[in-house]
Amino acid sequence: MRSAWVVMKRELASFFVSPLAYVVLTSWLIFTGITFWILSEFYARNVVASGSDTPLSGFFGGSALFFIPLLLFVPVLTMRLIAAERQSGTLESLMTAPISEASIIGGKYGAALVMWATLWIPTIIYAWIMSQHGSVDWGAVGSSYFGVFCLGTYFMAIGLLMSTIAPTQIIAAVLSFVALGALFVVGVGEFVLDGALREVCAYLSMWGHMHSFSKGVVDSRYLVFDFSVALSAVGLSIAVLKAQRHA
Amino acid sequence: MIEVDALSKRYGSRLAVNDVSFRVERGEIVGFLGPNGAGKTTTLRMLTGYLAPTAGEIRIDGIDAVGDSIHARTRLGYMPEGVPLYGEMRVHEYLRHRASLKHVPEVRAAVDRALALAGVTDVKNRIVGQLSKGYRQRVSLAEALIADPPLLILDEPTSGLDPNQVRQLRELVRGFAGSKTVFLSTHILSEVQAVCDRVIIIREGEKVADLALDQATELEDMFAELTTTDVAEEGS
Repeated sequence: MRSAWVVMKRELASFFVSPLAYVVLTSWLIFTGITFWILSEFYARNVVASGSDTPLSGFFGGSALFFIPLLLFVPVLTMRLIAAERQSGTLESLMTAPISEASIIGGKYGAALVMWATLWIPTIIYAWIMSQHGSVDWGAVGSSYFGVFCLGTYFMAIGLLMSTIAPTQIIAAVLSFVALGALFVVGVGEFVLDGALREVCAYLSMWGHMHSFSKGVVDSRYLVFDFSVALSAVGLSIAVLKAQRHA
Repeated sequence: MIEVDALSKRYGSRLAVNDVSFRVERGEIVGFLGPNGAGKTTTLRMLTGYLAPTAGEIRIDGIDAVGDSIHARTRLGYMPEGVPLYGEMRVHEYLRHRASLKHVPEVRAAVDRALALAGVTDVKNRIVGQLSKGYRQRVSLAEALIADPPLLILDEPTSGLDPNQVRQLRELVRGFAGSKTVFLSTHILSEVQAVCDRVIIIREGEKVADLALDQATELEDMFAELTTTDVAEEGS
């Protein structure tokens, strides 16, 4: 546990002294800023058509504008975790220190969750801006952030797994993009398919997941999905790292 | 301090290390000599727990290094080939980080001691990525020394250094005689002669000799024969 903390601290320190962190965070805020502006503009002009949707519920997963940047930003954030250490050779020092693979992966995963949080914390300002110009359902905002956190637990775990598997950072980024992209596309099946397949797609859908949370509905089926994917991906990462000693 | 019994490592169809056995006694400085691609790095990686052996047994300070790898790793300091370090950290930050990973109780004192032992106190506030190769090598040695382990495993410790730096590093290692066990790999015969008490020679994954350094003539003949043989097909 203490070793995981040491690994996590180093990972975050190295992330926040790298130019990558600031390029990613700045572009992210520009992107979400534009998204928020477009949605506010849209709902201001279409009061009737918007029904029960609000700019905030639209912002949190009511549109593809939420997911498309995430499919790019998550791989960029997670690609370094293990693959960068493998590329630079420091993984050998890490894996010959007296710590377990679980501590290494646990530390890296903890750091990934903090990176995810740093993406989202500044967006609280959008809710504050809305509250200055109208009424905001803070319960729905709370459940939206809870939904974002749960989504992050499995997005970052998938990114970590890909970074553990991949020989280089670029390959890790591409694999994470493909994995998350595939999950996103499966979710779209909810609107295309019928019958049992539709149910399956709805359950896997990150779109449905955030749609429900952004309305203030915490659906435990989505939580089971999020945490089971996250746990499996983290567990697999540990197993892959162990197996690589036998390469 | 090191007991290796019938150690083998297979990469796919290729046997990188084949049935190697040897012992290193406490306080000895032993060279692990062989041409490039002989299996030196693979053997060292198995001793340090980075790679699991395909077959065979390793005991480090009496601890089963295959079954109880984490425990065995607390007994050694390892300087990997090519000295991979976190380039963005300052020297003292890097050593503090490694000391915490190795559960060193008095981190500050351990860092100061390791800095002094490896002769890098003057660069402790410099960023690792901006150091010369010689300094990076010594920072890596300081890292290996940080938890004051009884055993040091050094992979090609002088590669890429200028003659003056080579001499300094050899003196440093020679200074450990009696107090620490040192197992170092090299492909340079003169290095073994300058530093070691004993040499184990490996070729194409197999141990071909294990001699005390007073048998120097035999050593030179043997090494000449080794290095003139074509072993190009063996990658490490």
